[in-house]
Amino acid sequence: MSVDVGTSPSARFAKDLAVVVIGLALLLLLAFPFLWVVIISFRPDSEIFTRTFRLITTITTDNYAKLLSGSPFPTYLRNSFFVCITATFFAVVIALVAAYGFSRYRRFRLRQVLLVLVICTQLFPFVILITPLYAMFFSLGLVNNFLSLIVSYIAINLPFAIYLLLGYLDTIPVELDEAARIDGASTLQVIFRVILPVAWPGVVTVAVYAFVAAWDEFLFALTLMTSDENKTVPVGLASFFGEYTTQWNLVMTASVITTLPTLILFMLLQKKLVSDLTAGSVKQ
Amino acid sequence: MTTTLATARTAPRDPLARYWSRNRLEPYALVLPAMAILAIFFAGPALYNIALSFQQLSLFDLGREGKWVGFDNFVEVLTDPATGHALFNTALPLTIVTVAVRLALGLGLALLLNASVFRRWKLGWLVRSLVLIPWVTPPVVAVAAWKWLLDARYGVVNQLLVGLGIIQQGIPFLAKTNTVWGAVETMLIWRELPFVVITFLAALQSIPSDLREAARMDGASELQIQTRVVLPLLRPVTAVIVMLTTIWTFNNFVYVWLATRGGPGDYTQVLATQMYTASFVDYRMGSGAAIGVVMSVIMFAFALIYFLVVFRERDGVR
Repeated sequence: MSVDVGTSPSARFAKDLAVVVIGLALLLLLAFPFLWVVIISFRPDSEIFTRTFRLITTITTDNYAKLLSGSPFPTYLRNSFFVCITATFFAVVIALVAAYGFSRYRRFRLRQVLLVLVICTQLFPFVILITPLYAMFFSLGLVNNFLSLIVSYIAINLPFAIYLLLGYLDTIPVELDEAARIDGASTLQVIFRVILPVAWPGVVTVAVYAFVAAWDEFLFALTLMTSDENKTVPVGLASFFGEYTTQWNLVMTASVITTLPTLILFMLLQKKLVSDLTAGSVKQ
Repeated sequence: MTTTLATARTAPRDPLARYWSRNRLEPYALVLPAMAILAIFFAGPALYNIALSFQQLSLFDLGREGKWVGFDNFVEVLTDPATGHALFNTALPLTIVTVAVRLALGLGLALLLNASVFRRWKLGWLVRSLVLIPWVTPPVVAVAAWKWLLDARYGVVNQLLVGLGIIQQGIPFLAKTNTVWGAVETMLIWRELPFVVITFLAALQSIPSDLREAARMDGASELQIQTRVVLPLLRPVTAVIVMLTTIWTFNNFVYVWLATRGGPGDYTQVLATQMYTASFVDYRMGSGAAIGVVMSVIMFAFALIYFLVVFRERDGVR
């Protein structure tokens, strides 16, 4: 900043303004498809099929009322919340215990092998698992049972959760454990009474990403949940826009509600979530 | 005197060291639940998938052992021209095109948004929120939104094009072979672009500012700083982005399935949708498993070659 010799303040301001205007214009263009979804969700039936583009027409909340009282959508919402919250809880607890093992016991045999395997699963093509998994869950009688979906979502999220929590736990000084050990605490007590309160920020990040990944997941939910009353939100929403959809305002309303949980989580915690995620890929 | 010093030095670490040596099995117990779930979920099905690929088994006969048919499924899958078509679609329009476009747009946008003015004017929060909007949109919602935007008659895109006089009549983008890939790619790129932008942004922000200052002192122009100083420093993060997005996209199912079901006809069929169709629409689990094996082999080969190339560059052979 100190070396801007030869540029007058006003020229500099003009340049800054141009950069901000261009940047924000591009970002608004990028965000427009979702903003349009929100606008359409408040539009009455009679006005969605307009021949020319109109940004704002009559505003109504009828679509939301119709969707939440006269459609199976609330059932899908309940299913999704149940599956995603349960899977997130267990994924975080199991990953925290494993990450503690990897972080505090540096020299046990298999440590390196297991850690490399955990990271490799991140590169594993989940999609090829669907045929054998369906067959396995079928023989266990777990097809169309929430348990199969919960286990799947725990497994999908474990590698990332272990990897990220390991990074967090490594920054927590071992002296903390030692003090608790001397007081006679067991390992599980150390993890949940001593480490958890300190590792809280990392745990929140992991939990949010695990929840969002489960919330967005489509293929497993499509395949494993075979009856309509067991559908999760993404599969339920997809069944709303088949080939001959006419009720686009209802589809858009369902889309807004589907996006709300992830939108709220990210708007509240955006700075932290982004920096925790990118830390891994940026530092080499 | 010496003994007291020695004990004084080791005393604080002593209790825990003794605790650990008494609990050699404890680390295994701690990682066991996670490893067991990963084994059941990844290793088990992967092996079972290989076994299934050598069997003939209908979805309705699950639970019974299939008929062992040797390499029949592979012969069928590999000689079927539909597989070559799906492989081409998966590689070029789905993966290579969208990864390349995401890299170009993501880097451009990140360089623009990294301008110091956004920080000086305290616009960081707004920038981040707008960038993240496509990314917080679940893929299913992204497809729904774009299907509506691209609707032949009532979609904003067509209304805009007709209004500007560029076309006479709305185009049913998803139903015509010359526009369908562009439409599917648009959906995918829109939803997945933010990951590339924020990763590049984080990398840019980790470049120490005195590096730019030094180049500027030496008389480098703004363009020279970007191309000679900044871009070379982005090589490692670019390598990570390319690998992750390639693997994620190659295996992606949801965009093509929800946007076109592989249509019109089989025009946009990719390996993931072909595999799903074989197993769960045609009920031929063996064929589906065989396609899965083919996909894993291709991805494994890609990862191997990619690692070799990237590591050789790191070692400075170049």
